[in-house]
Amino acid sequence: MKEIKTKIIERIKSHFQDAVERDYDYNRLDFSVKKETIPSILFYLKDEMNFKHLSHITCVDWLEEKEFEVVFILWSYTDRLQVYVRTRIDRDHPVLDNIDMIWRQANTYERELKEMYGINFTGLEAPEEFLLEDWEGPPPMRRDFDTREYAARTYYTRPGREDAQDVRETIIKRTGEELPDFAKKYKR
Amino acid sequence: MREKATTLYFGPQHPGITGNMMVRLKVEGDTIVKATAEVGYLHRAFEKLMEERNWLQSFTLLCRFCVPEPDPVEESYARAVEMLEGREVPERAKYIRVMVLELARIGAFLFWYGAQASSLGLHTVGQWSIGDRNYVLDLFEALTGARIYHMYIWPGGVRRDFPEGFEEQVIKTMDYLEKRLNDYDDLLFESAIFQKRAKGIGIINKEKAIEWGVVGPPLRGCGIRHDMRIDDPYEVYDKLDFIVPTGENGDIWSRAQVRRQEIRQSIRIVRQVIDKIPKGEYYNKIPNPQKWTLPKGDAYAHTEAARGEVGFFVASDGVSTHPRRAHERGAAYVHAITLLEDLLVGANIADVSEIMFSLGTCPPEVER
Repeated sequence: MKEIKTKIIERIKSHFQDAVERDYDYNRLDFSVKKETIPSILFYLKDEMNFKHLSHITCVDWLEEKEFEVVFILWSYTDRLQVYVRTRIDRDHPVLDNIDMIWRQANTYERELKEMYGINFTGLEAPEEFLLEDWEGPPPMRRDFDTREYAARTYYTRPGREDAQDVRETIIKRTGEELPDFAKKYKR
Repeated sequence: MREKATTLYFGPQHPGITGNMMVRLKVEGDTIVKATAEVGYLHRAFEKLMEERNWLQSFTLLCRFCVPEPDPVEESYARAVEMLEGREVPERAKYIRVMVLELARIGAFLFWYGAQASSLGLHTVGQWSIGDRNYVLDLFEALTGARIYHMYIWPGGVRRDFPEGFEEQVIKTMDYLEKRLNDYDDLLFESAIFQKRAKGIGIINKEKAIEWGVVGPPLRGCGIRHDMRIDDPYEVYDKLDFIVPTGENGDIWSRAQVRRQEIRQSIRIVRQVIDKIPKGEYYNKIPNPQKWTLPKGDAYAHTEAARGEVGFFVASDGVSTHPRRAHERGAAYVHAITLLEDLLVGANIADVSEIMFSLGTCPPEVER
């Protein structure tokens, strides 16, 4: 495993000068690259290094640093090794190259990231809507999207239920039990 | 020239669809010329909700990612958290986890028997197999306290040890199921309807299968022997003896044969676990979850579920007690969208649900 990892790191470093590697004590390697390098490094890993299987594409929102981190996870069936390729993109203008010509299924992941984080993949051919329907708000998976506030603004209690009773209070009245301490803060 | 193609909406309300999704079909006569998978009927924002909860509270959501087989999702999440923290799991817990995963696989395949057969109008198989699945659910009830949503595997090990007499109960159920599988062979695999309708339908291109991201029984049905249990052994799979069956042609029949043989292998694994399980601790206790922070970083753990590779990506910022990001990779994410759209072109309208079930698509996993 050690030799394979060293070989991969050497070859990647010689081809992609901006790649910063990180090794783990299990079968995993990490490469951080600039966003311009993404299509070429992924294509290189797939075609030359036998990382044929695209496991996952995901995005982490680092709100404090004003950046998105997009992570591509590849798996090599021959070397039995995971490679993470990660890049940071500007949160205000999130643009990344589309890679669905390398792996077709990447299209689905990109559609999700586009909708949930607002990342624009250049040249992504996809129908407008994926999971959300008639959505006009900001991309909902961003950290600054407040679900509670959105729900309070959008949904309301059905009228005619103002006299609805608290189940706990009804039970207490009927049985004379005391409300446990932890439940007191939820009391209406 | 007059447009010949008609648009048909297959789902979301349709007995032949695997869950809350729709396939928009363009048909010419009886033949499909274009298929588009449409999802969005079941989005529950689980991953957003998980960011609002601590590392342990997410388990009530995790088991609902894919209802027929929830344990691989729990296991991959728990293992990703353990990888991130570097937490050791006791040996006994690893054996118990393997047993739970294999029981879940048996349950999922029995469920699949019913679904696949019902898509061809062979409803008897479903009546039997769902009934037999209940015996597996009885085991889960005895072990975890719940039949469907177990929330049993968690970071550090499992939630509780075997109850008294559980080993005998497992062996008894396995004996019963093993005998019963022959009946399914007679009922489903000997059926002329199934043979005629499954052979040569929904063929996955063997050369492209890995590049397309096909995993699980659909991949092995093409004759490619890849299984995360042997490729990247997790828990104690490297200490157990089992075969990963493969098919030949990549059609529905091959996939069905793979699943048929895999149930037998799963029963074999469960028996080995009962034989080999060591005594000792079953849980490496985690700190108070309200104050439990994980080191900054991320991890991805993958598990071989009945439908293929299921994985969980978790990221922590090192300060908060909540995940910064939790993202599931489901097998259905590829199977139900890009692969399905491809396989349906040229197929018959009557074959749509048959192909969907043979791929093991699970819409809740797509939308989360």
